[in-house]
Amino acid sequence: MKKPLLIFFFLIFISGLSSAQDFPYGATSTQEMNMKNYAKDTSAHAVVLQEFGKSRIAVVSDDNIKLIYEYHVKIKIFDSKAFDKGTIQIPVYNNSDNDSYESVSDIAGVTYYKDDNGFTQKVELEDKKIYPVKENKHWANYKFALPGLRNGCVIEYKYKIESPYFENFHSWHFQDDIPKVYSEYEVHIPAFWNYNASLKGFLKLSKNKSELESKCFELRGSSSDCSLISYGMADIPAFIEDEYMTSPKNFLSAINFELVEYTSPYDGVKRRVTKEWKDIDYRLKTEPEFGGQLKRKGLLKDKITPIIAGKNDELTKAKAIYQYWQKWFKWNLYTGIWSVDGVGKALDTHSGSVADINLSLVTALNVAGLNAEAVLLSTRENGALNTLYPVIGDFNYVVAKVNIGDQVYMLDATDPLLPFGMLPFKCLNDKGRVFSLDKPSYFMDLSLPQREKSNYMLDVTLQDDGKLKGTLTNYSTGYEAYKRRSAIKKFNSVDEYVENLNGKLSRWKILKSEIRNLDSLDMPVSELYEVEIDVYKKMEENNKLTFSPYYLNKIITNPLKLNERSYPVDMGMASEDRYVITLHLPTQYTVETPPQTTSISIPNGGGRYMASYEPGDNSFSFLYVTQFSKSVYSAEEYPYLKEFFNKIIQSQKTEMVFRKK
Amino acid sequence: MRSFIIICCFIAISTLAKAQQNYDASLIPKDLLPYASSVVRNEEITIEVKALDNTVYHVKKAITVLNKNGDDDAHIVIYHDKNDVIKNVKGVVYNEFGKQIDKFSESKFDDVSVGSGSLFDSERAEHYLPAVTSYPYTIAYEYEEKSKQTLNFDPWVPNSDLGIAVEKSSFNFICSPGFNIKYKESNLPVKAIIGSNAQGLKTYSWQVSNLKAIKYEPFSPYVRNYASSVQIAPEKFEYYALKGSYTNWNELGKWISDKLMANRQELPFQTVEHVKEITKDITDPKLKAKKIYEYMQAKTHYISVQVGIGGYQPFLAADVDQQSYGDCKALVNYTQALLKAANIESYYCIVKSGRSFNISLQSDFASMNQADHIILCVPFKNDTTWADCTSQTIPFGYLGDFTDNRTVLALTPEGGKLLRTPKYTAQENIESRKADFIINAAGELSGTMTTTFKGTDYEDRDDLIKEPKSEQYKMEQKKYPINNMDIESLDIKQDKSFDPVTTETIKLNARDYATLDNGKFYFLLNPANRENYVPKQVRNRQNNVNITRGYTEADEVTYTIPDGYRLEKKALEVNINKSFGNFTVKMMLKGDKLIYKRKFQLIGGTYDKDVYQDLVDFYQSVVDADEYNVVLVKIN
Repeated sequence: MKKPLLIFFFLIFISGLSSAQDFPYGATSTQEMNMKNYAKDTSAHAVVLQEFGKSRIAVVSDDNIKLIYEYHVKIKIFDSKAFDKGTIQIPVYNNSDNDSYESVSDIAGVTYYKDDNGFTQKVELEDKKIYPVKENKHWANYKFALPGLRNGCVIEYKYKIESPYFENFHSWHFQDDIPKVYSEYEVHIPAFWNYNASLKGFLKLSKNKSELESKCFELRGSSSDCSLISYGMADIPAFIEDEYMTSPKNFLSAINFELVEYTSPYDGVKRRVTKEWKDIDYRLKTEPEFGGQLKRKGLLKDKITPIIAGKNDELTKAKAIYQYWQKWFKWNLYTGIWSVDGVGKALDTHSGSVADINLSLVTALNVAGLNAEAVLLSTRENGALNTLYPVIGDFNYVVAKVNIGDQVYMLDATDPLLPFGMLPFKCLNDKGRVFSLDKPSYFMDLSLPQREKSNYMLDVTLQDDGKLKGTLTNYSTGYEAYKRRSAIKKFNSVDEYVENLNGKLSRWKILKSEIRNLDSLDMPVSELYEVEIDVYKKMEENNKLTFSPYYLNKIITNPLKLNERSYPVDMGMASEDRYVITLHLPTQYTVETPPQTTSISIPNGGGRYMASYEPGDNSFSFLYVTQFSKSVYSAEEYPYLKEFFNKIIQSQKTEMVFRKK
Repeated sequence: MRSFIIICCFIAISTLAKAQQNYDASLIPKDLLPYASSVVRNEEITIEVKALDNTVYHVKKAITVLNKNGDDDAHIVIYHDKNDVIKNVKGVVYNEFGKQIDKFSESKFDDVSVGSGSLFDSERAEHYLPAVTSYPYTIAYEYEEKSKQTLNFDPWVPNSDLGIAVEKSSFNFICSPGFNIKYKESNLPVKAIIGSNAQGLKTYSWQVSNLKAIKYEPFSPYVRNYASSVQIAPEKFEYYALKGSYTNWNELGKWISDKLMANRQELPFQTVEHVKEITKDITDPKLKAKKIYEYMQAKTHYISVQVGIGGYQPFLAADVDQQSYGDCKALVNYTQALLKAANIESYYCIVKSGRSFNISLQSDFASMNQADHIILCVPFKNDTTWADCTSQTIPFGYLGDFTDNRTVLALTPEGGKLLRTPKYTAQENIESRKADFIINAAGELSGTMTTTFKGTDYEDRDDLIKEPKSEQYKMEQKKYPINNMDIESLDIKQDKSFDPVTTETIKLNARDYATLDNGKFYFLLNPANRENYVPKQVRNRQNNVNITRGYTEADEVTYTIPDGYRLEKKALEVNINKSFGNFTVKMMLKGDKLIYKRKFQLIGGTYDKDVYQDLVDFYQSVVDADEYNVVLVKIN
């Protein structure tokens, strides 16, 4: 008789406890209504007063187990700039082809505002003003706008989502673009399931409590205890995005969950999802949408044989296959690490996702006898990887890596303009995880020695008619060559590109042009132009001519404006721009004031700028080079970087004078 | 006899169409290739009105994509809503040589919602883009779409996008002899062929061939002003079970008033009382209206919600009163109701919005699908006042550049009436700046700069008006090209009278504004307002030059410079006067005062295409002058 009583008490205790967590719905206080601004951030247009979320796994009906997520928030809106907080979208997902979306229920909303006479009024969201919209095959949206919004109002709403996707345990975003007074997330996880929780961002939890909830889950007589964990955070500042920032996701405070393993309550069988890297490796290997695709060698054998026929060394073979793949496939804009259509269908339709294209590329390289592996990564937009725990959900992109001798080449065949061995900019994000069917996976550094480099040479003679005549040569190397090719290919032909280029330079006349290596992706792009530039109108009247030796791409305005910076400055990759101006003067002129030689650098080898002057026989050469040696500069380095630009701008104000003899 | 010839003609055309199944890319006429990323080989669009509530579109199109830039032109997008039925979608993909390599049907299409910016929009799109990796390739497809209405017919615009050439395109309209239409042909080399078909139905047909691809030309007029098109409007029609008929704007306006707008302005008693209360001490009706408009602004905000009779009917005014939000229709209707409570008459006005062009409703052709926005007109005696009800901040009577200077349809008690919204001229749109700066011996700039914004420029600082100071400083640092700009104080005032003005006063300093090098002082003459855009030169320009809206910039800067310097170069002086604008710069050094005056004016209007190069040169001169470096040398 003793036991049930205990449980009874315990249950009361628990229910009392959980109801104490969420705040009551449908009430506001005079204090909230009278708030004029948020004392901790007076610049905020709105502040979250309270926010509470709860996720649990429960049996809903007919032995159906669902993941249940409940959300409840109360927001104070100070002025109309934050009225967008009153329009809410609840996205729900469906990963099968039928119409079984995650379901949304119990949507309720209310606005408290002061009426024309200063009395607090309450207006509720009407059910018929909630609009369900089927966005596409996979996503639907529930949209609603809270009624009665005006400056100083308080809005409150809540909803519930039931989901069958246990892998997608709801993340919780503590930080948003408005500050929050308090935010709490409560999760109830039955012992049948095991998730890894990971906290992102710089902010600290003010509450992190976990306790045991006994017999909270029951199905067909088998029951289990739950872990009840509450994560709370107080005084959360608004997140403000800066320019040159990798991905806000890297800095936003949030908590994410990754399913590790579960025991099916139906059959009692334990299934491991992820725990250690070796589990992830096993999962990737056995998953038809990943490892399955890497094993489809038979399918590719006949295709590969003619591509590599007659090619003997490994590099030539790899290049041939890579180029063939680039030409064969059109990327359908789907990213992700899982194959969508499967290698077979993708090959047939010439169309595939990142995984379809690059996993089949790995297989194709293997078929040709090369040592190729898949590399999982997270794109810049998707944010940095968590390297502490193995979290498979962090990856959203996969590329190929081929090892030839002691050289490593990274390949992405989704873009026909990428040269062999170069990854697209979006993939250059810290680390990638190398995966192969027969070895344990490991991390590799993705900030490869990828650089962008451009080299301009202007060699001109000043004519008696005041025009500069000569040649402009431009070599673009590395990633810069890729950018150049993409820019040129935006036009239907090279002629149209040159016509447009000339159109943009109204003082210039391009007399002749030649572009080399446009389609030889492994080579630098070179552009040669014969040019005539209108500079001086009336030569004969002037005894003195002024000339800016920084004739090409002179920097006038500093791109860095802030007085201080809180996040790193991400330039993506190291770069170098080099300009050489050679000018031949008419015999009657001489250089009166030559420019100074300048050298400026960013501390700790961060970068360098130099300009040098070389006099010649009635001519001169002027060289200026800007180098950024790092791809990321820390927030502490921001002032140095800004000052670097400032110094360059100052030095580039200099003008030369040519005087008549 | 005549109809017989036409039937023959039709047969000839249709056999021709059948015969032209060869989509070999090399058969495209060579003169269609320049500037083309794709070529429409053949397009046949037929609209058949079977009954007032039953229109069927037959669309057939074959398009050859020449290179990657043309892929989007092969993207098939079929817009529809719940009243439309899409049928018989099929297509074939051909390679460069016209050999079939693939085919597809409706199962490949994805159906998506297109109103992502709206709380609700019933419009959707079925779309599909075949993946072909080797160029050129051709896709040929056809489909049928049934629509349950006859109010709106899609216009035929065979060549509306850049980079697409058209080998052949035809448009047919078929209806019963009793179904009267009006049609308007624009920039079309040939006129309609009108006849009847074997079933005794009336037919109208148009055809164009060998249209070259349009290339981008800056300062072009609105595309409909030069592209070929045919628009069709019904006389009798049915729309969402509402019947009606019209032959001109007056009758169309009346139908909208009667069927879509009637009895939607009732307000709760308390709101009517409140309006009377807040206006009881105001006698001037215009000031009364202003008070009511400001009340509406403070109480509501804009959210796009396209519900109600195909998105044409506003929510009830009482609904807006309770919900405090609405789209443009709902907010204008609500404001009208509030004004009515104070006995002020107003008109609901239908307009085509847009900043880049002033697009008017066509006075010679009435139809329902020319507009996309609603504004309010209050016809005070000798003082017609306009207002946009979707902003919480703009002053009453201010339209800005979104709906200015164009013909709109006003719903008056006498039916629809075309009215013109006010024009903002080059003399009225002013950004005028006065600055008093000191440059010290170390090259630091400091002083105060005051700028006033009028006309359409009034809104130029709206983005930072409600921001906190720290944020405003950051935004100003981005707006002005002054390096190392440190703001000591900033004040932005908005005068929301009937001639609104924004005034910005900045006290600032900027170290290293001037550089000392080799004993010389260098700094940019124009500190705050440098033009860096030069429109690109265009070979063989086709279009006239269009400047949608003129404006004036006037800058006057006084620098106090360190003692004992003179100018090394001749002082800058520019004086350019053109039909489309003018630009003057004056620079004077008197003792330690360097005075810089700059005036730039662009005058709205349409100019002959031959002046385009002048415009390019004009901008180049402005850019050059704005980059002028002052060089000071010590007086010995």
